[in-house]
Parts: sequence; C-alpha cells; structure tokens
Amino acid sequence: MTTTNPSADIVDALSAPGQDSLSASRLTFTREGKLVIDGVDVSLPVGSFGAVIGPNGAGKSTLLQLLVGTLPADSGAVLFDGDDLLAMKRRDRARLVALSEQHGDGDTGLLVTDVVLLGRTPHIPRWASEGPADRRVVADALTAVGMTEFSNRPFDTLSGGERQRVQLARALAQEPRLLLLDEPTNHLDVRAQLSLLSLVRAQTAAGLTALAALHDLNIAAAYADSVIVLKAGAVVAAGPAASVLTGDLISDVYGVRADVLEHPRTGRPLIAFDTT
Amino acid sequence: MTSRSPFTARRILPRRVLAAAGLLTGLAALTGCTAAPVPEPSDSREPTASAYPLTIDNCGTELTIEKAPERVLTIKSTSTEMMLALGLEDRLIGHAFPDGPIPDELGGEDVPVISDKVPGQEAVLTLEPDFIFAGWESNFSADGAGDRDSLAELGVNTYVSPAACQSAEKPAELRFEDVFDQIAEVGSIFGADEEATALIAEQRTALGELTAAAGTTALWYSSGSDTPFVGAGAGAPQMIMDAIGIENIAAGVNESWTSFNWEAVVDANPDVIILVESDWGTAEKKIGVLRSNPATAKLDAVVNERFITVPFAATEAGVRNVEAAQIIAEQLEALGL
Amino acid sequence: MTATMTTRPAEAASARRERRRVPTVVLVLVLSGILLLSIVLSVTLGPADIRPAEVWGSLLGHLGFDPTLLGGDVLSPLRDGIIWELRMPRILTAAAVGAGLALSGTVMQAITRNPLADPYLLGLSSGASLGAVAVILLSVGVLLPVAAFAGAIVALLATLLLAGAAGALTPTRTVLAGLAVSSFLGALTSLVIFWSATGDTYREILSWLLGSLSGARWPAVAIALGALLLVGIPLMLTGRTLDAFAFGDNAASALGVGVNSTRWLLLSATALLTGAMVSVSGSIGFVGLILPHAVRLVAGQRNRVVLPLSALAGAIFLIWIDTGARTLFDPRELPVGILTAVVGAPVFALLLLKARRIR
Repeated sequence: MTTTNPSADIVDALSAPGQDSLSASRLTFTREGKLVIDGVDVSLPVGSFGAVIGPNGAGKSTLLQLLVGTLPADSGAVLFDGDDLLAMKRRDRARLVALSEQHGDGDTGLLVTDVVLLGRTPHIPRWASEGPADRRVVADALTAVGMTEFSNRPFDTLSGGERQRVQLARALAQEPRLLLLDEPTNHLDVRAQLSLLSLVRAQTAAGLTALAALHDLNIAAAYADSVIVLKAGAVVAAGPAASVLTGDLISDVYGVRADVLEHPRTGRPLIAFDTT
Repeated sequence: MTSRSPFTARRILPRRVLAAAGLLTGLAALTGCTAAPVPEPSDSREPTASAYPLTIDNCGTELTIEKAPERVLTIKSTSTEMMLALGLEDRLIGHAFPDGPIPDELGGEDVPVISDKVPGQEAVLTLEPDFIFAGWESNFSADGAGDRDSLAELGVNTYVSPAACQSAEKPAELRFEDVFDQIAEVGSIFGADEEATALIAEQRTALGELTAAAGTTALWYSSGSDTPFVGAGAGAPQMIMDAIGIENIAAGVNESWTSFNWEAVVDANPDVIILVESDWGTAEKKIGVLRSNPATAKLDAVVNERFITVPFAATEAGVRNVEAAQIIAEQLEALGL
Repeated sequence: MTATMTTRPAEAASARRERRRVPTVVLVLVLSGILLLSIVLSVTLGPADIRPAEVWGSLLGHLGFDPTLLGGDVLSPLRDGIIWELRMPRILTAAAVGAGLALSGTVMQAITRNPLADPYLLGLSSGASLGAVAVILLSVGVLLPVAAFAGAIVALLATLLLAGAAGALTPTRTVLAGLAVSSFLGALTSLVIFWSATGDTYREILSWLLGSLSGARWPAVAIALGALLLVGIPLMLTGRTLDAFAFGDNAASALGVGVNSTRWLLLSATALLTGAMVSVSGSIGFVGLILPHAVRLVAGQRNRVVLPLSALAGAIFLIWIDTGARTLFDPRELPVGILTAVVGAPVFALLLLKARRIR
C-alpha cells in the first residue's frame, strides 16, 4: 500500500482543520472493473460524529470497509492520529478501529455476552483465554448500551433494536478510538433509532470518533457533526450538516425536491420532502 | 415337499411321466432332499433322448430343456470343470471368469477363455450359446452375462450351480449328496446320465477311503486381511472338513462363508490353518498376513507352520470337492496330524 | 466506559428466555471421565471370553508392572495378544479417529458456515478411497495408509486448484469444487474396482470404503494419535478465532482475524488430520457430522467450547460404535461405518428436528 501525501487535497473536506483524528485521502476501489470508490477524502476531528450519506449504491458501505481495512483500497491513504491504518497489522488496527454492522438474520446460537466478548478478540493473545479484565470490559460495554440484563439471552432471540445495541457493545468492547457504523438504524423503529444514535453520541462526547453510514437524512442531520455526501463513489459535498444539506444538493444527489427547514427545538436542519 | 427321493421316483416311473413332474423333481433335487440313494450304474436306463423335454426348477427359474444343449458357455471354474468331468468338452464353446487353472486330468485346453471376468451380454450373445452354465447366481445380471429372463426370451437356457443359489431355496447345509445330486442333474440335462452316475460312484468311493482326522481344529482362511473371510458352518468348506472329521472353528456361523474376527481366531487357536490359493489371493500372501499381525503370529498353527493349501476352484461346490478333501487329508497326514 | 460492572438479576420476564450453561470445565471433566471408563470397559468386551482380571493383568504387564498387582491374572501369550495386540490398539485408534473426525467436522462447519459440512467435504474421502483401493487391487508397492493419505492430499489440492481457477476462493465455490472432485475420484475408484476386482477382493474393498477399524494395530495408533496430538490439539485451540467468524468474514476481518490465511490454514490442517484418520480407518461417516451438532445442543455454539467437547464425544462415540461392530454379531465383524450410519442418520434427523437453528 503506497502512502501518498494527503495534506494538500483534503483541506476542503475538513470541518475543523488541525485536530483531525481520521483523515483519508484519495481512496479508490475497483470492483469487477468498475470504480466503486473514486478518489474519496474523509476527515473527522477527534470526538466528532460524522455521517456518510448518499443513495443506494453510492459506495457508503464500501467506504467504511476501506477505512476499517476489510477491503483493500486500490490506492489512497488512511491516517488515524498520524498512524497509517492501512500499513498496520490487522490485529493492531482492530484495537484502534471497530466496525458495527447490521445483522438481521441472527443465526449464531451465541449468548449476548459471547457476542460482546468477540470484541475482545484483538486484545486476547491467540492461544489464551479471556481474563477478568476482559470480562469487565464486556460488562461495561453492556452497561453502556443498557443491555446488562440481557447478558445470558441467546442473541438470536433479541429484537432488531436490541441486536443493534449488542453489536454496538461488541464494537465498544474492542475499546476502539474510531467507531464505524454501517447503517445502524436500518429496520429499527423510531424509538430504537433515536436511542441507538444517542448512545453513539454519548460515546463521541467521551472522546470516541464515530463515522456512520446513514440512510435517513433527518437522522443524519439531527445527530451528525459533519456530513459526507457520496454520489456514484465520489464526494459531492462535505462539511457541517447545516451548510451541506441544502435543497439543491438533495435534488442533485437523490433526485427529489425538498425544503430544508430549521428544527424548532435543536436548530438543526430538518428536511421536508416535496411529496406533491 | 413331500417327495424325498427324486431318484427313487426316476427308477420307477417312465421318463415321460417323470418329465411331466419335472418341476417337483427339480425342486426336490435342490432343497436338500439328499438322503436318496443314487441310482446304481446297473440301473435300467432308457435311452437319453427319451428324457426330453426336461423341466427343472433352478434357483427359482424354471427351465425347459427340449434337447441336450450343444453350444454351452460356462462362467467360473466349477461349471467348466463339471462339464469336463462329465466328458462334455465338445459341447463347450467357451468359458469365462476362471478362478484358476483347470487341472490337467480334466482336459479342456482347447476351450477358449472368452473373458477373465464376467462377460457382458453382447459378448455372450455373439457366441450364440444355447445354454449358459454359471457358478454364481450374480453372473446372470444385466451388467453381467444378462438376466435370466431376457436370455430365456432369446432362447438361451441358463443354469446356476444350485449350491450357489441366493434368491431361492438352497441346501440349509451343503452335503456331498447335494453335490452328487447336482452332478446327476447336469448329467440329465446333457443326456450324460451314465457319465454322471459313474462319476458319482467314483467320488463316493473316494470319500469312503478318506482317513478321518478326528479332533483336529482348523480355520478355513479364504481371503481378507483386516477382516478375515472364512469358511463357515453351512457350505462347501464345512462339508469338506466334515468329510475328514476336522472341526471348523467358524462352524457356529450358519453361512457358507463369513466375515470373521481375528480375536475369535486367536481365542480358538486352531491346530491347522487351511489356506485357499487363488490367482488374486495366494496362500503365501495369507501366511504373510498371519505373520504380520502380532496376535495371530502367536497362533500354534502359525508358529509351527501347520498350513494346508487348497486351490480355490476346489472349494466351491462342484466336482473337485472330493479332491479338496483328499488334498487336505494328505497334507494333514504329512503334518503328522 | 466508566460504568462499573453490576450484574443485576434478570427480570422475571426475561428469565425464562435465559440459557443457563453447565460450566465448560465440568463438561470437559465429565466427558474425560466417561472416555477413560469407555476405554477400560470396552477392552473387556469382545468375541473371546476374557475376564476383567486377565485384562488388568495384561495391561499391567505391558506397562511394566507386576501383572498380579491388585488381583491381576497372568495370561497365556495368545490371550495376552488378544488384549494387547488386537483390542487395545483398536480401541485407542477408535478414540483417536473419533476425536479427529469430530474436531475436523466442527472446524469445517464453522469455517464454511455450513451446518452440513463434514470432514470429507473437500473430496478427502474419495481421494483417500482411490488411493486405498488402488493399493488393494493393483498391488501398488506402497503401504495402504500412505496411499490413502496421499490420495486425500491430492484430492484437496485438486479441489483448491479448481475452486481457485474458477475465481476467488469462497466457501461455496470450494465446497462445490470439492463435490466435483469427489464425484470424479469416486468414478475413478469405481473404474478401478470394476476393472480389477476379482473374487473376494470386492469384500475387502467394501469394508474399506465403509470404514473399518478391524485392521488397527499399534502402527495405526501411532498415526492416528500422532495426527491428533500434532494437528488436533492446535486445532482445538483455534476456537476463539473460529468464533470471530460468527457474523461473517467481514466481521471477523474487522476483529483483526486474517480471514483468508486463517481459512486456508485451518482447511489444510483439517485435511491433514482427516487424511491421517482415513488412512487408518477408511472413511467412517457421520462422526464428523453429528457429534459437533450434538455437542452444540448441550454446550451452546462457542467453538472454543465445542471443539474440545466434540473431540471427547467423538472418541467416546466411536469406541462404543466399534465395540458394537466387534461384538454385536460375534464372531462376525461388521464394518464400523455401517453402524455409524445406522446410528448416525436417525440421530442427525433428530438433531434436525430439535435444532431449529439449522435452516
């Protein structure tokens, strides 16, 4: 993996220059001859909550996979706190970056604690058993997502929202400094969506950097400090939600008309789609 | 079965009547009704031709023989040897699937071997046989020489050694009388009753002259290495051992041959081991197996090399069983038993 | 993450959905005890009528003790041979083969995420069979275990090459390639049998194809136990890595597991283990398929628990099934593979009905 100098090109994507924790530059990825990610830059300050939005097939999930290293980027660089993530050993990287995915079709047979304990995989020596410290981290992670009393329940019996919280706990048990969430609110009811993202925001408030691929523009607008808008694998806009999310952009990216209002209580953008 | 004695019937009734009752007679000949005296050579015989048409039940298949078959194909050694022993070499158009060389005294050098294995249907039909005589029932199958019904439709009669019947009644326990019955039956099919009668008488005399080796225990080791395949309590091996008075350690299994167990062999520790010699499994190979297995290497018979070798073809029911008994008796004597 | 750990008692509503687990240590100890007891008991069973005191005496004698210690009997060399040369090696081989197959099955099922996966999935069994049948029939001048093992490895390589040539090595593609290789090698085996089997060799081949432990002597013990120690024990410790695959390759990779390297390392290890087992016992079916499922029903799905328990359960299972093969039709022998199938198929059906998880 070649590391190109990222500093020159990413400036326009930054929302708070100088304090970046995550900065990715000129990421490209080709799948079956098709350019899926086309020179994407990402930049997030420490402790911020970023959202990747864009229509289906824009490359949101792929971008997250490139950042966490589960897919190999064709070119580009990913720095975290100055460390080259892509050059790092997989196991070291897993102690820094965690990915929480949606798993609707649970077929694991594992208990909730077992699932969360998986997050300790990069921390426990390969041939050893987990120790008391690991069990403490697991318990803390379950407490953090409010799932302690579900510890001994089979994961497959949980509701969608509960599963998503357990997946979040699993990612937290990795004790990461960067948390990536791939469409964490899909298929969840409103209450579950809000409670999950509140949990993530509580974590960012404590210093974790988070980047979530999101479908729902209003959810992104309500929670994210900054927004990266992808269209056909390329960034079309990036920056604070209030400045990025405009009627023109939504019309350009999603092909629907919308008015962007101001939320009466939070002051954040509120998108009203034109359904006439 | 009410008729215990087909040969008695044959002596009293005219041949035509006998032929009409052929089914009954045939069945009787096959089901172990063996106590009957065999007709004496001096018995008043009618001309061979009068025996036809002859109806026989053979392994559940009914045969009608209109006249003595002339183009005969044999499969496996027992059938070939029986034909030769009855002086019917001129009827043979070929033989297939031999288990070993034919003994010189039986002749048959000029009979072509048409296949080392069971020949296929087309190979069989090209030879235009009118009769196929097989040693095993399984030789008649669609992927072998053809199934019996289809061959019958083509006008080819088929015959299986009754002792090898699997699908229909076979003798509960093979005895020499059953073998003699079969010789007589084959004799009548080919109009060679006199030869059959003479052969039976000769074999009966030879059997009577055998010296008994009472009290000797033996393992009849036919094949196999991890799991030995041995002569059990109901077939030709048992019959041969009985003729010499040998006690078979596998007599308890009511089969002709059986998969046995080395542990049971070691436990029985037989006085002698009878090794069956065939092209695919030499006696030497079997001795090697016995010696390489640390448990069987300690058997008295192995330690003292008390091995007896019999040719495979003589160990299936047929004209060479008496010879097998003689061979074993001779070798036992040589071993001092 | 500063909250302190306080495990609150579960609410009444959720309590009934909770699963209480028997501690792993207890299960391991119990199964180890049963395994030991099985070895001791089964060595006293067999066609030959040998008293436990004689068995005890024989074992003591061979382990370098006074045979008469603690009431042991001194045996004749022949009866001693039955115990020490026939029964002991056979029972130990059964235990090692059972453990190895169950372990391989567990790993295969986890790594392909396919509950129907078994140790013979990648053409291993058909390759080994071809090697063995060739030796039996064509009198090729190599030892049977060597040929069987070589056949298994060649089959594995063919499967991997085929799967690789068809594109990326995905589990599905690998399994399908294994199927193709199996069918082809199976056909070759049939051809060799059809072409060269004479007389009674059919029986010997059949017994090998069905799987049999009747030929197990001390060299077989060395092969099977050696493979179990060298390959099986390390495999047993890969449970945590296998667990990381619970949510798929991506999740495993994000947890720091090298997905491809792990998969091929583990597949090769199971191939090696299975190849060694097949070389001494023929292909014994169902052990690698049902034992892992049975263990999961009792102990849950965590592979680091399922692996050692499957190995123990497989050892116990095969010891008793083979004892059945030796004694049920005494003094006749039954190929043990027939019994594992007779017992295994209904058990598998039962598991299928019980574990709704298998979709």
